[in-house]
Amino acid sequence: MMETQEKISPPGFRTGSRSDASTEEYYLNMGPQHPSTHGVLRCVLKLDGESVVEVVPHLGYIHRGIEKVAENQTYLQLIHLSDRLDYLSSFSNNLCVCLAIEEAMQIGVPERGEYIRVMLCELQRIQSHLLWWGVFGMDLGAVTAFLYGFKEREQITDIFEELCGARLTMNFFRPGGSWADVPDSFLPRVRQVISRMKGALAECHTLLTNNVIFRERTQGIGVLPAATALSHGCTGAVLRGSGVAYDVRRHDPYSIYDRFAFEIPTGARGDCFDRYLMKMEEMRQSLAILEQAAATFPGGPHRAKERAAYKLPPGSYYSQVESARGLFGVTLIADGGPKPYRVKFRSPSFSNLSVVNAIAAGHQIADLVTILASLDFVVPDLDR
Amino acid sequence: MNALPASQTFPVTNAIGDAVRQLFPASAPAINTLLAIASLLALVAFLPVLLIWLERKVAAHFQARLGPMRVGWHGLLQSAADGLKLVFKEVLKPEGADSFVFFLAPILPASATFLIMAVLPFDHHLQVADPPAGIIYVIGISGLSVLGILLAGWASNNKYSLLGAMRSGAQMISYEISLALLMLLVVMVSGSASLREIVLSQQGTILDWWIFKLPGLGLIAFAMYLVTSTAELNRGPFDIAEAESELTGGFATEYSGISFAMFFFAEFVNMFVAAGLATTFFLGGFLAPRIGLAFFDAVVDFVPGFVWFFAKAFLVVFIYMWFRWSFPRLRVDQLMYLEWKLLLPANLVLLTLTAFFVIRGWIL
Amino acid sequence: MGVGGASPVTEQIAEILDRLPGGASLADTIEFVVAWARANSLWPLVYGTACCAMEMMSAGSSRHDWARFGVEVARATPRQADLIVLAGTIVEKMAQNLVTLYEQMPGPKYVIAMGSCAISGGPFYYDSYSVIKGGDRLVPVDVYIPGCPPRPEALLYGIMELQKKIRTEGRKNPWRVGTLFREPFIDTHSFARSQWEKRNQDETAPTAEQPRPGRLEKTTFPEVAAQKRPRPGLDNAGLLAAIHEAFPDLTAVADTNGDRVLELAVNRDHYLDLAAFLRDDPRLKLDLLLQITAVDWRDRFDLLVQLLSTGHGHKIFLRLAVDRDRPSIASLCPLFLGAEWHEREVFDLFGIQFTGHPDLRRIFLMDNFPGHPLRKDFDDPARVLRRPY
Repeated sequence: MMETQEKISPPGFRTGSRSDASTEEYYLNMGPQHPSTHGVLRCVLKLDGESVVEVVPHLGYIHRGIEKVAENQTYLQLIHLSDRLDYLSSFSNNLCVCLAIEEAMQIGVPERGEYIRVMLCELQRIQSHLLWWGVFGMDLGAVTAFLYGFKEREQITDIFEELCGARLTMNFFRPGGSWADVPDSFLPRVRQVISRMKGALAECHTLLTNNVIFRERTQGIGVLPAATALSHGCTGAVLRGSGVAYDVRRHDPYSIYDRFAFEIPTGARGDCFDRYLMKMEEMRQSLAILEQAAATFPGGPHRAKERAAYKLPPGSYYSQVESARGLFGVTLIADGGPKPYRVKFRSPSFSNLSVVNAIAAGHQIADLVTILASLDFVVPDLDR
Repeated sequence: MNALPASQTFPVTNAIGDAVRQLFPASAPAINTLLAIASLLALVAFLPVLLIWLERKVAAHFQARLGPMRVGWHGLLQSAADGLKLVFKEVLKPEGADSFVFFLAPILPASATFLIMAVLPFDHHLQVADPPAGIIYVIGISGLSVLGILLAGWASNNKYSLLGAMRSGAQMISYEISLALLMLLVVMVSGSASLREIVLSQQGTILDWWIFKLPGLGLIAFAMYLVTSTAELNRGPFDIAEAESELTGGFATEYSGISFAMFFFAEFVNMFVAAGLATTFFLGGFLAPRIGLAFFDAVVDFVPGFVWFFAKAFLVVFIYMWFRWSFPRLRVDQLMYLEWKLLLPANLVLLTLTAFFVIRGWIL
Repeated sequence: MGVGGASPVTEQIAEILDRLPGGASLADTIEFVVAWARANSLWPLVYGTACCAMEMMSAGSSRHDWARFGVEVARATPRQADLIVLAGTIVEKMAQNLVTLYEQMPGPKYVIAMGSCAISGGPFYYDSYSVIKGGDRLVPVDVYIPGCPPRPEALLYGIMELQKKIRTEGRKNPWRVGTLFREPFIDTHSFARSQWEKRNQDETAPTAEQPRPGRLEKTTFPEVAAQKRPRPGLDNAGLLAAIHEAFPDLTAVADTNGDRVLELAVNRDHYLDLAAFLRDDPRLKLDLLLQITAVDWRDRFDLLVQLLSTGHGHKIFLRLAVDRDRPSIASLCPLFLGAEWHEREVFDLFGIQFTGHPDLRRIFLMDNFPGHPLRKDFDDPARVLRRPY
């Protein structure tokens, strides 16, 4: 009965049918509500038994049209919209929007403001990576890792809460600095987090990195060659895991990143384990930056004089930062009015996810879950 | 059941059982059976509730949180509330599912576990039946739960269910081989396939339990039993049949309400049964942990045997939980690799070594 | 909302029991116990769309621990769930799936709308062409939790409110539309205005002679001169010189001053050749495609291609004019694999066709979505709500 039915392939598949009398390929729908697609990504899999022949991701289940909404809002309101893209690195997103506006309007930032920006971005990078670490563990079946990641993450969230009252969507930076100064307790709390995080990272390594099953599940899985990664436009830990040492903080330094000494880890093989190690190492490097920044944290004003109106001169402006997931860019096209003519956010997750079919084909379903987790995407950032 | 006077065969006595038996000496075996059935029924009702609560509390404390707290003392009634809710929940059958098989499937694993419970020796006289080939019975019956899971996956008309069921079928059938070999090892050293005889062969001090009595090998066999039975139970890190992050709900994806509750409860009772078997085979069953000191032994002997049985079984249950909340999940092929390439050869070697030990009499 | 499902069972039991002497109190007891069980055993569906999902996960984490209420048994399959927490924005493409999920859940089932987006569309209420303006347009919502996103404590409070609601629902308290809002409606706006008016009439209120205590002293900040950041890699003049070697007739150039990224206005005949040259030339080595996007200038489209060199660090942006009436341009897919999704996005939102694209489908919106929303003349009153100001 099944043989006589004409199989209609779902859209997007390119591999031909390999079904014959003895085997039959079938399609499996994963998502948009699925625990390992991290939100509302939908993947349609073509499977041969348990192994994945082809993956077709379907986006748009949380496409909110932020770029259209932004065209009807002022430049300052862009900052709060950027929070809601990649909500796990909202400070970096805010910073990117502010950098573009500052470049267009020639606004400088005082020393203290720059330090606040760098420290908060690095704190949030650690926070985001901790969450990713927990979710990575959970996707591999180690639920306890999830809770441990969140436990440490809350320490950093506390700092943000004290700073601006928000836990996720900060809306904190403004062109010329930040919306408010940091409270007196900021530095002691950061130092406490630094010392605590070192122990926590060791704990993370004990729980997952050194586990035999974990290594078996990640090593050699989803190998991404550097050429493929570049061609797909991957950035962040995905690109560095494949051995390309590109980090916006080092190669195109913004804010005051050129003053701090930190290393850019690169992977050798480009598999899931390398991408995992990149993130773990990045946390350590962020701690190093935080330590240096906390040692030389200056006084003075936290922001420059605000302008009467934020109207960008006509032209197009671009800025980019290294968010927790990779290169986040903002393109503003201004027509001289109070609102942008066109806004385009370059989200790192979008390019990072586009490699999934290239590296997941041939692996098993369980490996696809590992690969998706190691690419570390945020679906609202993908869909915008 | 042997009709020997209790006081002669078994040094440890059971107060209630002895009292009843002394009143009606003629019908002692019948009383034993009735007592066992009554306690089994109580257990069947109570065990899943307790075990699910325990699992949630253990998991919570592993994860630096509290777990259920609001219902009853430290959330003791939490699983009672869950069970009651599931009973009163709508039962859905997906379109295209085979009704008969769909609703038959959850009954099989549940009945299989309860059937195995019938041969578990909880105490000297707390055993519903003690067939001479008890171990064969255990191996045979435990195959039923695989059948239930396979039927569930097939009848659900859902690809996730089918994948989960096929994974679980392959897994459980493979691991049953290792499990059977380990049971064979115990039969070999104790010289009996009756579960009570196996317990009784471990009388004496702690060092007479098979885990220690067989020098070195006992400990290895126990560890292997733990790994194998965890896989047999479909529990983490071998829970590929449910693999929530891959297959949403595994074979039970389409089950709701009371039919899901059956799977859920069977899973936990199954865990207790596996722990009970581990206790019987390696930890001296209902025997008290004597260490050879007169005073200490008198104290532990005073405690009834079923208390020791439950204490040991729950210790093993705790180890299962510890596994589950510590490790990431294995992949399907790695799971098969572990069984066919590592555990099975190791088991055969172990069996041969044990046979050698038994022949040479190298048993403590 | 206790919709469907097991409620009929209890109702039938109660109907039979009511006829017996003393049966009514027994029925009440059963109802109480069942309601107690339901309230204390809310298994949520693993469903989160946006930021609020993070706070939902935080509510499950060690500090907040919703397991205390028995909520930690998060089920990935709707068949075993009792509760959907609508955590995050719901867009049109997701709407159908959400309704399906809700229908797949066995009754009684409950819905919590968490956060502004799930309540009303939140920050995307105006101007968005895809956001559903509130989860209650799709499924019946029991508890609304405001916030953007709400704190985990707020979610816990919402769960407790839902438990309270479940405990009181039953035969004596059947759900009816009329009984939904027991509290009288208060027009908070008029109330606040009347309060202000009363206060203004008050003699102790500040007057023109005695003004109110002023706002906090507004701090003034210094003017800071913008610092010129170093640009990595070749400067714009160097880049241009290198390009002119291979493409001497490439004259249309925009923004060559050193502060900005070099932007080249490219003829469509040169497009692919130039992109290949930029990618392969060892001095330029623009090997990373940042993105492809477009701008609608009302009379034409501008396709914007942004390239970056991971080795050197410099960037070049290409700008192509595309005819607005018959928008079509060659695809960049043969050169950059990543171009595929970017071009699909441009096709989806602007309607520009890419010739040679292997799989040109809509990427974000549904296939039957009318029009291309990022065009300036896009208007769809059924979907887009314009700001009144």
